[in-house]
Amino acid sequence: MIWNETKECMSRDEIRNLQSARLVKMVNRVYHNVEFYRKKMQEMGIEPGDINGIEDLSKLPFTTKEDLRNNYPFGLFAVPQSEIVRIHASSGTTGKATVVGYTRKDIALWQECVARVLAMAGIGPQDKIQVAYGYGLFTGGLGLHYGAENLGATVIPMSTGNTQKLITMMLDFGATAIACTPSYLLHIAETLEEAGQIDNIKLKVAICGAEPWTDNMRREIEQKLHIKAFDIYGLSEILGPGVAADCEYHKGLHVYEDHFIPEIINPETLEPCREGEVGELVFTTLTKEALPLFRYRTKDLTSISYDKCECGRTLARISRFKGRSDDMLIIRGVNVFPSQIETALLEIAEVSPHYMMIVDRINNLDTLEVQVEVEERFFSDEIKELEGLTKKIAHALQNAIGLAVKVKLVEPKTIERSEGKAKRVIDKRKLI
Amino acid sequence: MIKQLSVFVQNEIGSLAGVTTVLKDNMINLRAIASFDTPEFAILRMVVDQPEKAKTLLNENGFAVKMSEAVAVELEDKPGELDRMLQTIAAAKLGINYIYSIVVRSGKIPLMVINTENLEKTAVVLEQNGFIVAEQEDVIA
Repeated sequence: MIWNETKECMSRDEIRNLQSARLVKMVNRVYHNVEFYRKKMQEMGIEPGDINGIEDLSKLPFTTKEDLRNNYPFGLFAVPQSEIVRIHASSGTTGKATVVGYTRKDIALWQECVARVLAMAGIGPQDKIQVAYGYGLFTGGLGLHYGAENLGATVIPMSTGNTQKLITMMLDFGATAIACTPSYLLHIAETLEEAGQIDNIKLKVAICGAEPWTDNMRREIEQKLHIKAFDIYGLSEILGPGVAADCEYHKGLHVYEDHFIPEIINPETLEPCREGEVGELVFTTLTKEALPLFRYRTKDLTSISYDKCECGRTLARISRFKGRSDDMLIIRGVNVFPSQIETALLEIAEVSPHYMMIVDRINNLDTLEVQVEVEERFFSDEIKELEGLTKKIAHALQNAIGLAVKVKLVEPKTIERSEGKAKRVIDKRKLI
Repeated sequence: MIKQLSVFVQNEIGSLAGVTTVLKDNMINLRAIASFDTPEFAILRMVVDQPEKAKTLLNENGFAVKMSEAVAVELEDKPGELDRMLQTIAAAKLGINYIYSIVVRSGKIPLMVINTENLEKTAVVLEQNGFIVAEQEDVIA
């Protein structure tokens, strides 16, 4: 079902006109309310009057995660705090979180986008949906929750961490839909299989996202659970989940262009890429009130197509992600930067800052092992001391990245030193 | 008191041999060896005839090594001797961290190597109770 046919099936000309009108307004609002952007535009010698439509988009400055961090926590907000009704945050690269805010209207916009995603997957008021993303500062849980309520579905707010309870409720309540990371859904499928319960579920559809996955993984989920699985994409800086999602044809993710302008740029030259060419995805928000952003660099690599989809939607489609232009990892749906590990280790005197992250997927659950070299001057010959040290490091790393980490002490100088950019990550997960 | 070396090794195939190869190549003689393992790593404790030299060489080969002291006690080879020694230490309310033995001593009786929370006191208590506490020279010979 198409939730908002007027907006999802406009002609390309209508989309451009709507985007142009909204961009002009947005630039004016931002220029007058956000000092960071006003200064940046002044430095570049541009004024709001220079932006007359989306053809002028490339005149606007880029925004990066670093800009958000430098203006931590609320520096880029464009409305007074009294208009902010919600805050979310995601882990930053060096300890400080990336903080985002929403006005009442922003929450409504988010609910609209997520309702479109769910309707596109065939979910409606008759459905019972288990939201098994984390609830809290992470946008996944509450984003899906409010969108599903807006749609009129029955929401079961599971959050994460208790697979047994999730399965019991899936069976007892007859849940027909689920929203979670694709790897977690595979884990749920295996647990159901082992319990011999796979034929007793009423599940029809899954909305999966927050981590990269492949068409093969989608097919595996669909075959194991006898359901249809859909891809949802988003990032908290722009909105949260619901910026884009795929339809039953699975030929790319439709971007809600009435609210976000996507661009694909070459991450080196920052020049725009041709249609179909792989580059870095960049978003400009059009309607966000609390945190409007110009040309936010997502670091996600993809390509874009403007052809009309077989589903009838005219919205631009981004292809499945080809990777990242930075070193961010997504582990159990949590964004992790190697620099976070490094920063945390530097604060522990007993270890050297040389480390290796080993990411794996065991029984469809991501695992993270961090190997750390023992420093001779702090080496104790007592096992209980070394085990205490292991625990101390694991605790510090978990605090830094918000994920349980297995720490392995290794012999000095066994972690590769390299002249240039050291290799710090071995990702054994196979996204086949 | 005697000197012992503790080496950090990963719990992997060949890791102990990595240590002994360094010793062999430099003609260092092992008097005693004991390994204490966890699932992830092990600590190899050794008594050697040239501890300073061994430490330097192992460091050069990338090992984390700690040289420390331990109490070495002569124990006669008859039932109940180890028990008598342990009772003495327990009676002095001293906790033992670990214990291992040196059997190879040309013509002399075996030694027990003990690490406790207070080495000095352990040595004194044992001597007061008639045990012979060995020194480094006793190990080399």
